[in-house]
Amino acid sequence: MSLTAWVRRARTPEPAPVRREIAVFEPADLFDIEIKDNPETNPVLCCTGDPVGAAAFNALWLKRIAASGRYAAAVSVRGQGGTPAADGGPEARAHDVVQAAVTVPRQTVLMGHGEGVAWAALAAGRYPAAGLVLVSPQRVPKQFPKPVGEPPVLLVVSESETQSKEVQAVAEAYGITPLTFAGAPDDVFKGAAAEALLGTVLSWLDAQQR
Amino acid sequence: MQEYSSQAAYDRGEAVCVIGAGASGLIAVKNLRENGFEVDCYERDTVLGGLWNPQNQHSALYPNTHLVTSRSQTEIPDFPMPDDWPDYPSAGQMLEYLTSYAKHFGLSEHIWYGSEISHLEPVDGARFEVVVKPAAGSAARRLRYGAVIIATGHHWAPNLPSYPGLDEFRGTVLHSSQLKDPSRLRGKHVLVIGGGNSGVDIACEAAVNAASCVHSVRRGTWHLPKYLGGEPADYALARLASRPKFLRRFLTDRMLKGPKRLAERMGIETPGNGPGDEEPVRNGRYLEHVGDGSIKRRGEVAGFDGFDVAFADGTEIRPDLVVLATGYQPKIACVAPELLGGTPEAPAPRLFARMFSPKAQTLAVAGLVEPGVGVLPIVHWQTHAIARWLQIRKSDPERAESFKLQVNAESSQHAVEHVDPRRRLVVDAEEYLASLGRIIDTLEQEPAK
Repeated sequence: MSLTAWVRRARTPEPAPVRREIAVFEPADLFDIEIKDNPETNPVLCCTGDPVGAAAFNALWLKRIAASGRYAAAVSVRGQGGTPAADGGPEARAHDVVQAAVTVPRQTVLMGHGEGVAWAALAAGRYPAAGLVLVSPQRVPKQFPKPVGEPPVLLVVSESETQSKEVQAVAEAYGITPLTFAGAPDDVFKGAAAEALLGTVLSWLDAQQR
Repeated sequence: MQEYSSQAAYDRGEAVCVIGAGASGLIAVKNLRENGFEVDCYERDTVLGGLWNPQNQHSALYPNTHLVTSRSQTEIPDFPMPDDWPDYPSAGQMLEYLTSYAKHFGLSEHIWYGSEISHLEPVDGARFEVVVKPAAGSAARRLRYGAVIIATGHHWAPNLPSYPGLDEFRGTVLHSSQLKDPSRLRGKHVLVIGGGNSGVDIACEAAVNAASCVHSVRRGTWHLPKYLGGEPADYALARLASRPKFLRRFLTDRMLKGPKRLAERMGIETPGNGPGDEEPVRNGRYLEHVGDGSIKRRGEVAGFDGFDVAFADGTEIRPDLVVLATGYQPKIACVAPELLGGTPEAPAPRLFARMFSPKAQTLAVAGLVEPGVGVLPIVHWQTHAIARWLQIRKSDPERAESFKLQVNAESSQHAVEHVDPRRRLVVDAEEYLASLGRIIDTLEQEPAK
């Protein structure tokens, strides 16, 4: 975030505060003696464009992430799931993501799916994320802010999406090549495709941790 | 250096030493870590949070301390405060915020508590040797660092005025930082000396708790309420800064007309060109307490005599408790004043761009400004610039050179020295932020091909 961007933001009205629904799954919640919370790893905070919000990650994602020893959380931005609707566009939703990120106990990885890619990317322009994971982007902003603190960025898309305009835009903005997973773009939250996708994301995260 | 252990100094390589784990120190540690530096932070107390932590023995907190700048203008730019907090968080919330900042970014493991830096001096070129004196009597250690950032703040050495007869005064005299518990005011006849933010806040506490409250103020100041036009006052005024200049003047005057008239009605002069000139008092309750008589304003104190206090206008009162809300003296004890551009006669630091030592490339001071707005964001950008500078100093000599020219130019632009020691740290927030922005741009832009 540049100084001028901050000055501009500090002088525009803050989005109306909402009570956000945040789903949290810690490694200890799995009741598995083999899995320990590893404080060396960064937590993961997810958001999605799906209207159910944080609940979308309950089926598989949070448990799988927690099983890797990470603190897993998901946030419903305004208007999704259990979070009341309030005014504001993508910026206000990015504000929701940042506000959720600062409640996570350690510096967190931001994970956005679908429309959530835009919110996670905007949030990473205001909060020094430990990493930025973008899955199947949809409706991306024209310009991506430079992520604060230069985190590593991962773009994962389904095989059918690789040529889409959004994916190209994201790949170009961050100068990365997308990784692909086998399966339809709708299979992100459940099933074999989701397992494969998560495997990719988690092994990438582990590689970043060194 | 016979008094220290004879062992050679332990070399920490390119690591950076940060002195102080208050708000400024924590921000410095985080920004240095983010830019890839090893950091050792030394805190003489046993807790983090500096003046915001009531357990710190040098804490400057007084009863019911709240921020005088609003949340959105005070929070650290990349770590916002929870948005369900009030517009003006309390000191307790501020400590909670700083603690969660430290926890979130894992800063505590880089802080050495109970360790005071007693001395630091430049060695072989741009490196520094620091002498760490642990509080609990064990031997001092010497370490070498690639750079040093001083973040000791300027609110811990109380400024104690002297009045004739003060030593023989029979009542209780306390500095604002010694007051701590509001129950000390209850039922007492209280005299508060000092018209700054702390004096005004304490007078308001005394107005509702004490038997009577007299407030001695030497000169006029700007009094701003905490809200203007339905918005937090600092936010409302800062928003005007984006307007064209002629319009800004007009709109600012219009917005300040009410507070100005009210202050004048209470017999308070509003000096200078506006509240940006020096730190204004930000308290909406004070003038109402003056208006309902629970605070009686008086002029300068002439002297103390037994139980009595005489004012310059000849009147006398008999207070039980005198609170000296006379502020603090900026003091940097661990380093020779010459290194920060001072002289033995006038030890006040004279820094490049209010942060870089003019004598040593790798010595900087964070947070030694009074910008009249929230200081945390300013420290964030200062330490961001310092970290970037330390990064490119070695890796990119060309850009380092243009940076030096830039910083020199920025410093000469603000060469207007405030002669008044009270206002030596005052900067215009608008100008200083713009100058910081230019410095950061110089450090970050792609080198011209």
